[in-house]
Amino acid sequence: MSEDDFYKTAAVVKLDTLSDVNDIGKPWRYEEDGLTVTRTSPWSPPGCHPVGCGLKLYVDDAGKLVRVEGDENNPVTQGRLCPRCIALKDYIYNPARLLHPMKRDPKERGNADAWEQISWEEAFDIIKEEYDRITGQYGRESIVVFAGTGREGGTFAPYSTMCFGTPNFCYSQSGYACYTPRLAAIAYIGGTTYPEWDYAGALPGRWDDPRYDLTEVLVVWGKAPLESNPDGFFGHAVVDAMRRGTRLIVIDPRVTWLAARADIHLQLRSGTDTALGMAMCDVIIKEDLYDHDFVEYWCYGFEQLAERVATMPAEKAAEICDVPVEKIYEAARMYAAAKPAAIQWGLAADQKTNGMQHGQITVDLMAITGNLDVPGGQILPGTGAGHNEAGFGFEKGLGEELQKKMIGLDQYPAYCMLILNAHADLMLQALETGEPYPIKMGFYAGNNLMSCTSMEPKRWHDAIVKSLEFCIGFDTFMNPSIEASCDIFLPLKTIAEREGTVFTHYAPCTVTAGFMNKAIEVGDCLTDYELCYELGRRLRPELWENEFKFRSSKEFMEALRLGKRENGEYFDKVSKCVVSQIPVDYYKYERGEMRVDGSPGFATPTGRIELWSTAFEQFGDDPLPYYEEPEFGPVDPELMKEYPFILTTGARTTAFFHSEHRQIPRLRELCPNPITEINPEAAKKLGIADGQWVRLTSPFGECVQKARVSEIVDEKTIHAQHAWWFPEEDGNEPNLYGNFRSNINNLLPNFHFGKLGFGAPNKCLVCKVEPIAENYDTDMDLIWDKFGKLV
Amino acid sequence: MATYGLLFDYEYCTNCGSCQVTCQEEHDYPVGKTGIKVLVDGPWKINDDHWNFNNWPLVTDLCDMCAERTAKGREPMCVHHCLANIISYGPVEELAQKLAEKPKQFLVVPEFDPIASKGVFVSQNKSSHKAAHIDVQGTGKANYAVHRHDTKVGEIDETEE
Repeated sequence: MSEDDFYKTAAVVKLDTLSDVNDIGKPWRYEEDGLTVTRTSPWSPPGCHPVGCGLKLYVDDAGKLVRVEGDENNPVTQGRLCPRCIALKDYIYNPARLLHPMKRDPKERGNADAWEQISWEEAFDIIKEEYDRITGQYGRESIVVFAGTGREGGTFAPYSTMCFGTPNFCYSQSGYACYTPRLAAIAYIGGTTYPEWDYAGALPGRWDDPRYDLTEVLVVWGKAPLESNPDGFFGHAVVDAMRRGTRLIVIDPRVTWLAARADIHLQLRSGTDTALGMAMCDVIIKEDLYDHDFVEYWCYGFEQLAERVATMPAEKAAEICDVPVEKIYEAARMYAAAKPAAIQWGLAADQKTNGMQHGQITVDLMAITGNLDVPGGQILPGTGAGHNEAGFGFEKGLGEELQKKMIGLDQYPAYCMLILNAHADLMLQALETGEPYPIKMGFYAGNNLMSCTSMEPKRWHDAIVKSLEFCIGFDTFMNPSIEASCDIFLPLKTIAEREGTVFTHYAPCTVTAGFMNKAIEVGDCLTDYELCYELGRRLRPELWENEFKFRSSKEFMEALRLGKRENGEYFDKVSKCVVSQIPVDYYKYERGEMRVDGSPGFATPTGRIELWSTAFEQFGDDPLPYYEEPEFGPVDPELMKEYPFILTTGARTTAFFHSEHRQIPRLRELCPNPITEINPEAAKKLGIADGQWVRLTSPFGECVQKARVSEIVDEKTIHAQHAWWFPEEDGNEPNLYGNFRSNINNLLPNFHFGKLGFGAPNKCLVCKVEPIAENYDTDMDLIWDKFGKLV
Repeated sequence: MATYGLLFDYEYCTNCGSCQVTCQEEHDYPVGKTGIKVLVDGPWKINDDHWNFNNWPLVTDLCDMCAERTAKGREPMCVHHCLANIISYGPVEELAQKLAEKPKQFLVVPEFDPIASKGVFVSQNKSSHKAAHIDVQGTGKANYAVHRHDTKVGEIDETEE
């Protein structure tokens, strides 16, 4: 097929509940009852993973968004929508939304009343002056661009490389404990980018496409896909498959809704997944349940793997994981017997110190059971997939010398080279100590790190406020991080106000590609590619004029996202598709479609799936998976005396995207308070009533949350929600919208990552719990009063 | 005219909240008011292997099944947006057939604002008896002991004055 035909309008698959009166087949824009309807596939903001759920935006003659509806033309979401986009109007026209640039004297950081509205030109002038001063004195490497999660800005590396010209693009979560360790595992073992479960998302006709085989068994491992739409996967596709007959194995310390419907639920002790995976692998090998042909021709190091996993028999894993041994056997047999079977690996793989090994054993299981690149198994992206924005403009934008100055590159090349990011923990160290060099200027690209993505957030807060002479925030609302540390605020467009693209999985495994079509204008805002272009041209005019030579911000986006330079005309053409399915194919490794050299096999040193990993060995880690006890846990009985519970954190709700949406009343109503889950027996012993507030304490800090007494966790486990702050409260320091009161990250450390630099024990720490007399229940009348009257 | 209702396949309700928020948006209800919400039962243990964990979408007295939309032949908003696609709208007789096909479902016919839907009070004035036209004679004394039916009634002579 010619490249120009690559993006085609996806074929519609109608839901049985949809009425015969519907909008199937409508163009990207149409009129209805005096309203203009624009169809779009959103990414962000509001923050979300890049799912690109179909949206219809209804706009009146005055240019106001009056109605939001799910678009039944999207083949994956089919008109369905989660509460966050349903409440989009309440976000866009929220009285707390910020629509103009502002400045504040750096001496007034933390003073919520000291902001002063300015023009974009003044904002650009101030930034240019500070940029020239700081880079003149300390070099461009003294700038840090803080990346967030999920939002477009969170992976918008051109901010650092092309706009500011710093090697220090930095996702500030310790050990990059989110998604990237899994990307590293599959890259270093299989030479590909992300093995998503094949939910027929890219097939015309979806589940009924003749090429598709329904997944017989889906293993949901350390993941809550329904609530999180992880990495762009439409979570409720799991429910769609269940209703067609897919059976579940759920591996999770919580009795999730999916776990309650699983044939087998392995309710393991948090952080012990690698032991469980090794034991399942051992059962499958010992009982001769593996795919001999695939192992013999397409895998490398099987004998060594067999030998290694034999050190972790099911009986031993049962002790470690605290699950009945027969359930490990049952799960291994059920997974191996199912053809096809798939595993959805979750954030839990990243959020432990030895997370890489969890990722490694998961890929090993997928491989030896012959489920890679098969219909209904794991889809594997071919050559050309990946985070294109990470490398886009990297070399020209940085120059050779600065590339080498990326913080952490020497110590943790496996981390820094994979994602072209400064190492999070070493960045914290640099902010605190000025070593290896001072960090003096900052930019928040879709990130509220003090509420959400940083461990020991007060420590990050202090380091940033002390070290940065100048800091810029770019967002839709004020948040604690910007309030505490920024001197310039820039207003960001929402999905209804912008153009752009959305590739599921950020592009490492694109199932659908969506296009954002602009429906309305609000205030005086820009979107990420527009700001990067406008600011980049001002800060580094020679580079943008002589090297990059984009004719417009839209051409910059077009080049970054679509590989074309047609001054936006190509985008305008393909964006009318609204959503496209990216052609999927199976058994590509047999035809040479997994490697740039066109030979059969995988893009690894041996050309095979490396059960014994050359890359791991080269980076100085064990080439085979191994189990390490969580550092904080039963391995340290003295510690457990003081902190008797295993603490796991961060399970999402549909109401919020991480630290966002707390000021949207109808969403806040779904989940008004920060919730800690505790088992009824444990609560009884401690005198904690359902709904009572409790203090959680770990060796690193404390916070207070509201107890939900429930058997959703077992007696040894506590689960606590993350990313809580209270936009209805006083924003001034030290309260800072209550940012540190219920912040579970207070309890989580930095500097406890694995050998390659990846991972953090965010889902397997320890804590104690005490009931408290105070009551911090949210007053929903206050929330409605403050945020319910739209403007 | 056929009676319309909503069929819920509660086996697959994930408590995502889309029905509640879309109902509030459609009808412009503030927080605290909604035509539909989800009740949660569980998880609690049935035995060592199985859990009870069901979510129940519950229609309230503010559910009008999106009368304006359904008048145009479209489905109610909760049906349209339900992430798990578990709500069907239609004539009760058709839905009853679907109900028979699978367990763990329920069928409801909501009533919007049931007090108001009874209409304004108008007396039917059904009592036909008219008071008889009879002149009666007085007893001549007040009967203070009219409520005294207990055993002590004989001990106090309340007529003596």
